[in-house]
Amino acid sequence: MNEGANGPYTLHTLENGLRIVIERMPDVRSAAVGFLVRTGARDEEASEAGVSHFLEHMMFKGTPRRTWREITIDFDRMGSTYNAYTSEDRTMFYGWVPKAAIGRQLELLADMLRSTLPAGEFDTEKNVILEEIAMAKDNLEHVAFDFLQEKVFAGHPLAWPILGYEETVSALTRDTMMAYFERRYAPDNLYLVVAGNVDPKAIIGLAEEQCGSWKASGTACDRVPPTLRVGKDVEHVDRFQQQFVALTFPSVSACDARAETADAAASILGGENSRLFWNIVQQGIAPRAGAYHLDYTDCGAMLLYGACQPESTEMLLDAIRSEADRICREPVQADEVARVKNRRRTSLAIEGETPYYRLTQLMDDLEYLGAPRTVEQMLADVEAVSVDSIHAYFASFPVNVAGHLTCVGPRTEVEVAK
Amino acid sequence: MRQAVHDILPCGVEYGVLPLPRRHVVALQIRLLAGVCSEPDDRLGLARLLAETIDKGTQRRTGRELSDAFDAIGASHGCGVGRETTTLTCTVLAEHFEEAIALHAEFLRTPTFPDDAIEVNIELAKQELIALEDDASGVADKLISRRAYGPVLGRHSLGEAEALERTTREDIEGYWREMFTAGRMLVSVAGGIEPARVAGCLQEHFEGFGLAEAAGREAFAVEFTPGRTHHNKDLEQEHIGICWRGVDATHDDFAVQQVVLGILSGGMSGRLFTELREKLALVYWVNAWQETPRGSGMLFLGASTTPQRCDQTYAALLREVDRLAEDIEQSELDRAVTGLLSVLETRGESTRSRCGELAGDLFFFGRPRSEEEKIARIRAVVIDDILRYLATYPREPQCVLTLGPRALGGESVADRSEAKRTPA
Repeated sequence: MNEGANGPYTLHTLENGLRIVIERMPDVRSAAVGFLVRTGARDEEASEAGVSHFLEHMMFKGTPRRTWREITIDFDRMGSTYNAYTSEDRTMFYGWVPKAAIGRQLELLADMLRSTLPAGEFDTEKNVILEEIAMAKDNLEHVAFDFLQEKVFAGHPLAWPILGYEETVSALTRDTMMAYFERRYAPDNLYLVVAGNVDPKAIIGLAEEQCGSWKASGTACDRVPPTLRVGKDVEHVDRFQQQFVALTFPSVSACDARAETADAAASILGGENSRLFWNIVQQGIAPRAGAYHLDYTDCGAMLLYGACQPESTEMLLDAIRSEADRICREPVQADEVARVKNRRRTSLAIEGETPYYRLTQLMDDLEYLGAPRTVEQMLADVEAVSVDSIHAYFASFPVNVAGHLTCVGPRTEVEVAK
Repeated sequence: MRQAVHDILPCGVEYGVLPLPRRHVVALQIRLLAGVCSEPDDRLGLARLLAETIDKGTQRRTGRELSDAFDAIGASHGCGVGRETTTLTCTVLAEHFEEAIALHAEFLRTPTFPDDAIEVNIELAKQELIALEDDASGVADKLISRRAYGPVLGRHSLGEAEALERTTREDIEGYWREMFTAGRMLVSVAGGIEPARVAGCLQEHFEGFGLAEAAGREAFAVEFTPGRTHHNKDLEQEHIGICWRGVDATHDDFAVQQVVLGILSGGMSGRLFTELREKLALVYWVNAWQETPRGSGMLFLGASTTPQRCDQTYAALLREVDRLAEDIEQSELDRAVTGLLSVLETRGESTRSRCGELAGDLFFFGRPRSEEEKIARIRAVVIDDILRYLATYPREPQCVLTLGPRALGGESVADRSEAKRTPA
């Protein structure tokens, strides 16, 4: 067991491996608590695609102490703002409550994390998941980004959708889910994070009481980084009115020291007040165009994307490629970098006000950096971004080379400029 | 906690300030009392077009230079057009507040509406209208709004393609001159700033900005059209929307309405989630909410489900509303009240959220309301209030909208390709 202080944080690890991070925010009236499970869609077998997300739903369905109805009633009885989400590489459960309720909130979440996965609820919830999959199919961006992941990361677990496929979810059994649960939801694969107006000693005591008996699994993180595919894939979906296109290039992972620079590079190219906004959207070529740094623990990608009228597809692609080429050939301007950094500073100040957003920041840091950062440390990382660091980034990760082109929409074929 | 300050400046701007000591940021919301309801009937889309073009050039700067100036102070800012207002939001570090106001004043008072920006934004608005078809919930919202509110309050901010094509720079300039005035401005500010500093800055920058006389405070009439309508669309799911009349935000029964919605849909233990999702597994998404234009209120139920289950889902939605009057329990009332009160402590941590609350108070009540006042109203609700409310504001007459391949009680659309491009 270790215990110590790191600036405003209290760090503690239970004997079973559960790592606890607490940030005390004495000026607020509330507190947020969350469990970060280091598991997601990329930790699934192909045949069980969707199990992480389905399991997240099942965690609300019953424990040795509570039925599903008692779980939801207890959340609402304490006035919690609560939910859970699943991504490719994590699953998070959280609750944000008035400070007096933080103990009860922690106890409830801890109880949920020992779900019995009630057999009687399994098929009912499966139907809810199938409705969620159907809903996603009616959304162009959802369909497009799932297709992009499937093709760019083909042959790798990052290729399958977080929700899974109708076929895999329909075929999923409770036994398969239980095995996955026991493997992945052990305390040595979890973080417990608390931010807000709390007493750290009381939180640690409660965590010992609620989670101390959980058994470690010794599950090793056996993730293998993917190799991004190069090429072109077109998905013909004629019920959508717009054509979605994206160019994908390799980038740094979220753990890389250059991640903040990659975020800034994406912002200059395709964020607010960016080159793509002024030179594509405000030229009337497409109502949407942007750039995004997609980052995981061991890999990353830079996405340049847009959606337009089908007949404008080639024009949009040419315009994106032109801006991609320019940012690689010519150094960005100092004022462009300064603007992005200014926006980021304000954004960090806004997020730092509320326990929930601090909770999510802390979880990112723990997952990607292995330790939390103060807002001041985050600001220092923003400060380190420079014209030179962005220039060096594009030298290492050019976006004017052959990447992967994804097209989704009414077009059956898209011509690629030579 | 300090109370908000509220006043009307000599220039005509009505403002409120909630000082939040020790906050690093200041959140600002400018509501101009002119939204889609104020558009001429033959220029639908004009309000949004004005909002999209007003910051694309001023007498001093190009649109890009103006955006750069906002970025120079790290402003997180945006603009949205609603039924009754055009709302500008901005959050900055407290030391940049004056510059943020100066920049807003610059584009609000001295826009040049460059021809190329007008041309491009008309084109983009037409493209957005087409893009809206790829957002099923957006289409459903647009369709039910027409039925719920009628031809004026029920307008969509994107307008209509034909009207957009007819719109000229004279239309935009004329609308701007008439609608963007100091007398139509409600400014709300929260954060680490003193009220006197806000008042001085606003007076300096908005003196002489159009008419100072208060305008735009009147409510628009609702033209509710009950009945059932279906719109064919090639979708995986059927979207169901139901609405009926409720009370407006200033009504004595508004807190009761909030609690009713909390019981129906305030959390996962709410009746809709419990019955339609957890027990029947009919839906992933189900919700109940209210919209309250000034002087009126509308309650909505929404859900999406696979088409073959839409009749069952529709019946289950109505059943849950009807059941409220039959077996409401004190414990669920208590949970709804707790949920409404606790967000004041949780989401209320955010400076932006506090600013939004203040802006709503000025807009609906014409004054700031204290947290104690809001708490007292919600705490006062008892079961008898709810039963009386349900009897006074029944779910009939109602408007029902379905969007997807199957009408209620009907067959699936056989030719899905024909349904594909049915415009909303």
